[in-house]
Amino acid sequence: MGTNLNSHECVRPLHISIGQIPLSLFIPGEKLHDRALTRYSGFEETRAEGLPIFFRKGSQTDPSSDPSRNFSTDLSSDSFSYVLDDALVRLDSSCAEFHGVRHEYALDSLLRILLTMVLLPRRGFLLHAATVVRDGRAYVFAGRSGAGKSTVASLSPAGTVLTDEISLLRFTDGGWHAYGTPFWGEFRAAGLNEHYPIAGIFALAQASEDRIEPLAPKEILRALLPCVLFFTSNPEANRALLHMLLGIAQQIPCHRLHFRRNEEFWKVVAP
Amino acid sequence: MNPCPARNPKLAWREIDGEAVIISPDDSHVHELNETASLIWKRADGKHNVEEIAAAVSEEYEVPVIEAEADVRELISMLEQKGLLSIREPGEVVAGA
Repeated sequence: MGTNLNSHECVRPLHISIGQIPLSLFIPGEKLHDRALTRYSGFEETRAEGLPIFFRKGSQTDPSSDPSRNFSTDLSSDSFSYVLDDALVRLDSSCAEFHGVRHEYALDSLLRILLTMVLLPRRGFLLHAATVVRDGRAYVFAGRSGAGKSTVASLSPAGTVLTDEISLLRFTDGGWHAYGTPFWGEFRAAGLNEHYPIAGIFALAQASEDRIEPLAPKEILRALLPCVLFFTSNPEANRALLHMLLGIAQQIPCHRLHFRRNEEFWKVVAP
Repeated sequence: MNPCPARNPKLAWREIDGEAVIISPDDSHVHELNETASLIWKRADGKHNVEEIAAAVSEEYEVPVIEAEADVRELISMLEQKGLLSIREPGEVVAGA
């Protein structure tokens, strides 16, 4: 990547862990540091060996990227970069860089993009999904904006919602687990820094009745792919994602949940 | 020598229950092929020409070769239009393949 790390401003890092991925954010400037601390306080980590993320002031376009397509990645050389508005994220095998982060919203966005790439070789991905815990198991409700994620979350008991917006699914400890993330949804609050084995994945479809419909592997792909946060057209990365989704389709019950906007849906989800 | 259809090496695809599911990384579009189309897709490796693929289809589904060849050409044309495969001269090497 050709980066001279010695030129970075010496700052106190903020250590966090999301989906058991430790990250060390070297945020210059107290204001952004404090806002990040507030935003990610539930995900703060005492360990200091996370993937270092260095912040550079000002925007910088990546000369190797195609601005019209907003991405540049080459997994074969362990590097990735992505331009988002005025900001840029870069990742190589040893560290990441965020350029042009002016507020916590940009930080949040770059963190999501970075995580998608860091998770991929670690058998994990981010999904537009609300996750609710019931009897120690995670129920994942996937859908794009307006599908009903926040509705499902709001109809669930307090303290049981891991996240109402973006779930992190990862194969750890011999099985697929759902992790809460600090990324805000309509609740305007971070999710819980907890993880649970996944009981089932439900693709949301608002309807006039409550019923579940089992999905075949191809239907699962069709339902989940649009909900996966993914920012690269790299063929190897896409193959890895496809492999991972087929793996989860074979191991986790996946259904389409036709539901009304009330808590009765739990009777068909977890009878 | 007849040209050989070759799958786009940038694509991610898997066979599920005998049918191919293909993802176009550029637009995350999912393409699904039926069993017959999947058989053709799997043989579109840049090494088998249309006649050879048609012969395989003819044998597998017990249809006349001429009918199989028409189906193969039609499917290949459609997949080529979608950028899922290209027609390659025998021995031609495609970058990234």
